[in-house]
Amino acid sequence: MNILLLILIVPFVFGTIMFFMPLHFKLLQKLHILMSLAVSALLLSAVGKIVDGVELFAFHNYIFLDSLGAIFLSLIAITGLLVNIYATTYMKWELEDGHISLKEVKNYFALSFIFIGTMSLSVICNNIAFMWAAIEATTLASVFLVAVKKDKNSTESGYKYIVLCSIGLAFALYATILLYSAANGKIDGEAMLFTNLLASATSLDPMALKLVFIFALIGFGTKAGLAPTHTWLPDVHAEGPAPTSALLSGVLLKCAMLGLIRYYAIVANGVGFDFVQIVMIISGTLTLFVSSFFLIRQHNVKRMFAYHSIAHMGVIAFGLGVGGAIGLFAALFHCAAHSFTKALAFCSTGNIAKIYGTKDMTKMGGMIHIAPVTAVLFGIAICSLVGVPGFAIFVSEFLIFKAAAISGQYLLMGIFALALAIIFIADFSHFFLATFGKVEGKVEYNSEMKFSENFPLIALAILIVSFGVWQFDSFIFLLDESVKIIMKR
Amino acid sequence: MINYIDVITVLMMGTSLAVFGLRKYRLSIFAYVLQTLLLVIVFLLLYFKYDAHELLVWAFTAFLMKVVFVPLFLLSVVKKIGVINEDDPVGGFFISPIIALSFSLAVAMMFYKVFVHFSIFKDALPLFAASFIFMIGIFGFILRNSFLKQILAYCLFENGIHLSLALMAYNSHELVEVGILTDAIFAVVIMSILAKRFYTSYDSLDTSKAINLRG
Repeated sequence: MNILLLILIVPFVFGTIMFFMPLHFKLLQKLHILMSLAVSALLLSAVGKIVDGVELFAFHNYIFLDSLGAIFLSLIAITGLLVNIYATTYMKWELEDGHISLKEVKNYFALSFIFIGTMSLSVICNNIAFMWAAIEATTLASVFLVAVKKDKNSTESGYKYIVLCSIGLAFALYATILLYSAANGKIDGEAMLFTNLLASATSLDPMALKLVFIFALIGFGTKAGLAPTHTWLPDVHAEGPAPTSALLSGVLLKCAMLGLIRYYAIVANGVGFDFVQIVMIISGTLTLFVSSFFLIRQHNVKRMFAYHSIAHMGVIAFGLGVGGAIGLFAALFHCAAHSFTKALAFCSTGNIAKIYGTKDMTKMGGMIHIAPVTAVLFGIAICSLVGVPGFAIFVSEFLIFKAAAISGQYLLMGIFALALAIIFIADFSHFFLATFGKVEGKVEYNSEMKFSENFPLIALAILIVSFGVWQFDSFIFLLDESVKIIMKR
Repeated sequence: MINYIDVITVLMMGTSLAVFGLRKYRLSIFAYVLQTLLLVIVFLLLYFKYDAHELLVWAFTAFLMKVVFVPLFLLSVVKKIGVINEDDPVGGFFISPIIALSFSLAVAMMFYKVFVHFSIFKDALPLFAASFIFMIGIFGFILRNSFLKQILAYCLFENGIHLSLALMAYNSHELVEVGILTDAIFAVVIMSILAKRFYTSYDSLDTSKAINLRG
């Protein structure tokens, strides 16, 4: 069977199996880890084929895997696996504390696979309407991963999530319909396929393409957390369980961004790069400054990271706005760097919440003495998020500066530097508050987590540092090929 | 000769205002049933007019899912929750439909000119109606505070999109329509579950009370 069809089927089969499992936590835990490993192995084997130069198409070319999709599929495989492993630990704590029932844990694990399946589908769709449907399905699959509990806050976050994302994505569907009708009969082959649309982008009406891009930006931008339609994100990412927030921020936002990048490629090749770059610069700058303003005021550690997610989506948009081969390379690299970093950041908040019983950083302090490994992991996440050299995010942010300098966009360099400086100051003040000094509140768990519990976080930290200091040839190959796809070189 | 498609799409615009403005949930749901039934008739008329076989299947699936399943499901939710009248919308019951009507007309006037240029079927009034119904749905989310009314607003803009899809992209693969429709049905079901939870937590469907997570 074609590996792409397996990618579509296996997560849904595993989700169904999990749903019908008996209520026995150890069994559920082991099965969740094993099945997550199997799914990730499957996804990575498909990515491996792309690295080997094989072209993957299936189902009348409606689904496919190109280098662009392969980057995001590898994020689903790697970040998704590590977060899912951590989820078993997190859910064990929640179960022990009586915050959640065993049945809810089982449903959570089952839905995780459905969620991974919908995200995988969204990145391997060649048909742009399927891609839209898959991205909308990611929202539907993850609502009850966010609203796990039935209390006020959980319900409110679930409500905001589904309502605001559905409204936003409706505009993306209009973009899809308009793009199809503008291309139908004017290009060779099926007008719903990304590959055909990109190949014949110059034949499409420029005015229609501009409107399509604005609609796509509103639609996928809402889902990706770009300002001003980002308002659902802080509530949802702050309220959901830590592994859910890690998956949403680390992987899902990138899937929505991939949707936007595919439209970016078609429109840029149809009307020229200037138009899409200007739009993305405006969107990126607005997102960066709105998020950095709110970031300074946050004392809730998860809410702070949620605003970080918005800020870094702004960085990706900014990279797409600066443009050129290096700018695009940087934006795509940032997707991976932010995925690992934000997964570590949100997972570490799970440890922190267990230690202090709160997410309020003003009631923390002295973490370095209580749980030094967690403190270091938290520090690595913060260092990467603010772009300290040696960590993954530094590479992409530096490349954005380089792209702007090469193309003589000095004003953009200044704007970008200012936004990053605000984020830097806000983050380190919060980090010091939680990690050093005296304990300001109470400590509920005065010990470090076990190595097995911290293992996924350590693996993420290793990835962050590795991507900051090494060049992985296969990953660089995928990035280079993706830039070529976008620029049609 | 009377253009029946134009007449029916104008009636659809009227029903969208009824779904938006009627205070009683049951009446609002019945207005939605009527609108979706009209949508099915438009699909059938387009099928006869342009010999577009795909739209025959669309009419059948839309009837089954949106005229029968969704309204029955929503009525059962209303019955289970035990609510009759909608909570006060933004600006009150009189002002909010006027705001929605005027802005939706304005936006639809802008959009339909673009759509008619690229659409497969060049029926101007139905394209205008599709944009209008979509915008009324969007304003339903913005102006109506009731969670159930917002679900109906979702159904409205989904109808607007469905009509646009029929006019502008009816010949795309049949799975495209199936995928979009399936998403819409799941969205309604999930939103309804959340609405029930919301009512249990807040003892009301008024979403303006959901302010715990600000900051």
